[in-house]
Amino acid sequence: MSGKRVAAITKRLLQQFRRDRRTLALLFVAPIVILGLLGYLIRGSASAPAVGIANEDQGPLGATVAAALAHSSGISTTTIQSSDGDAKLKDGSLAAYIVFPPDFSSQAQAGTIAPDVHLEGSQPGTIAPVLQALQEALISAVSSQAPGQGLHVQPRISYLYGGPGFDTLDYFGAAFIGLVVFFLVFVVTIVSFLNERSQGTLERLMASPLRRGEIVLGYMLGFTVLALIQAVEVLVFALAVLKVHNSGNVALIFGIEALMAIAAVNLGIFLSMFARTEFQAVQFIPLVIVPQFLLSGILFSVSSEPKPLQLLSGVLPLTYAVNGLRDVMVRGADLSWGSLQLDVGVVAGFIVVLVIAAATTLRRRIA
Amino acid sequence: MSDSWAVDVEDVSKNFGDVKALDGVTLRVRQGEIYGLLGPNGSGKTTLIRMFVGLVAPNAGTVTVLGQRMPNVAMLSHVGYMTQAAALYPGLSVEENVRFFAAINGTEGGVKAALEFVKLYDRRASVVSTLSGGMRQRLSLACALVHKPQLLLLDEPTVGVDPQLRVELWDGFKEMADAGTTIIVSSHVMDEAERCQRLGLILFGKLLTEGTPGEIRSRAGRPTLEEAFLSLSQSRA
Ligand SMILES: Nc1ncnc2c1ncn2[C@@H]1O[C@H](COP(=O)(O)OP(=O)(O)OP(=O)(O)O)[C@@H](O)[C@H]1O
Ligand SMILES: [Mg+2]
Repeated sequence: MSGKRVAAITKRLLQQFRRDRRTLALLFVAPIVILGLLGYLIRGSASAPAVGIANEDQGPLGATVAAALAHSSGISTTTIQSSDGDAKLKDGSLAAYIVFPPDFSSQAQAGTIAPDVHLEGSQPGTIAPVLQALQEALISAVSSQAPGQGLHVQPRISYLYGGPGFDTLDYFGAAFIGLVVFFLVFVVTIVSFLNERSQGTLERLMASPLRRGEIVLGYMLGFTVLALIQAVEVLVFALAVLKVHNSGNVALIFGIEALMAIAAVNLGIFLSMFARTEFQAVQFIPLVIVPQFLLSGILFSVSSEPKPLQLLSGVLPLTYAVNGLRDVMVRGADLSWGSLQLDVGVVAGFIVVLVIAAATTLRRRIA
Repeated sequence: MSDSWAVDVEDVSKNFGDVKALDGVTLRVRQGEIYGLLGPNGSGKTTLIRMFVGLVAPNAGTVTVLGQRMPNVAMLSHVGYMTQAAALYPGLSVEENVRFFAAINGTEGGVKAALEFVKLYDRRASVVSTLSGGMRQRLSLACALVHKPQLLLLDEPTVGVDPQLRVELWDGFKEMADAGTTIIVSSHVMDEAERCQRLGLILFGKLLTEGTPGEIRSRAGRPTLEEAFLSLSQSRA
């Protein structure tokens, strides 16, 4: 094993990608498009949620806040009776209604106001805009009426359905971060390795002193560099732009993402041995990637699968990676958790198996 | 004994299914020799050359290259192999390609010399996908000899190269051979065959005859190598 020869392969790969704009676009634009679309699908409700306002305040503040809410672009308001509210939530004509109680203005004088917020709750995408609009309306109304006063806002929030839990993107986002990286890295690796074969350069590599392990390692490092940059990009986009909920350690999320990327590189090299053309390589996507995706617990939790499928899920690496990412981001797991140790261990073990498999399947002889 | 042989092939056979690509070939090439492999399409020239670098395993017989029984990965850094179809990285520049093949053979120098040899130094920054066919062929040659191998295997190296440059390349091959490099070259071009020290004529996977160009002409009783080649091929066909 010569470090210089491994480095030669890694460097050459990165040089190639510098000029291959389209593949770079796939690696770095596609994840943003996919995640952005997903975020939009899940969170971006087409129209502003309908919010009913019941102003029972005997003082002036309720009316001021209601007027501010009416001007808010994030929601569309109507005036209702508080007794009609629940019925309107049930029939779907309202996503939420807000009640300003009779003593609302005097609450403000005392320093703590508590508007009642009733949320429908089953459509996660409508909750945030309502709370945000209320927050903004309260700030602007209070600062115009009683400037400089410290005021506590403690809205009493109730849900018709569901609870104050995470929204859909918070739940799916964690898994999708890893999945996007895994999928794109796999596709790019398998195709470039096949190019090596079809353009005849693999024959030249095989007629050189390069050892098979050096080729696999060189490839792995080259693609890992790209994959890690992509992983950082995806993570920053998910956390900073999509604001996917995260209760765990960012470095840990990145670590799991990186492991998934390395696994994808080696799976790509390994499977490229079984394809003769790029077209055949693409056929591995429905064959290898889609079933893993379905069985990984992203959409249907593994425990709800039929028993035979559960066994299958249990041997697929993506299942563990997805579970690990969710543990960290949703449940705030750290490496002291046994379940996370298992997840990380299985993915790492899979990488080792794939590296060995890729190096042994790479045949020096063409016949 | 075998030290003076750069390549020593003993009674080698290779079948691809029903096709007998090589059939009992025995052939020895001296160090510093330019040895030409002649033969019609499909006669087994490429298969034989691939065997020298361990890409094809013989069904029978032994292949010894630079004193080492093949396959032997470590000694491949002393061998340069130019494949029949130019095998290059189309997305890399001319210079990046040569540098890469130097690096995997464990050297860094020689890039400029190799590019000057094939007259591509001025085009070193060009991306390969923008080169002409003949230029690619020349670049492929540069990649095969950049690490100054002791044994240079050239599978039809001058296909598509213009006559002027072809003469200059052969002058270069002669210089390298004089300096001790062994060159085995397959070709269909008879004036190139004329410049080899010895020729091997391969037909249907068998080594039909072997000798200097002069010996082959007189053996066939023909004035030109072309006619000698045709009459020898026909007498066995
Ligand atoms: N990998 C392979 N699988 C099956 N058959 C092969 C393979 N490689 C070569 N052959 C067969 O072996 C025979 C010799 O082929 P080879 O490539 O050595 O010919 P060649 O002398 O180099 O011909 P050309 O002048 O066209 O380059 C041909 O019949 C070819 O079809
Ligand atoms: Mg050939």
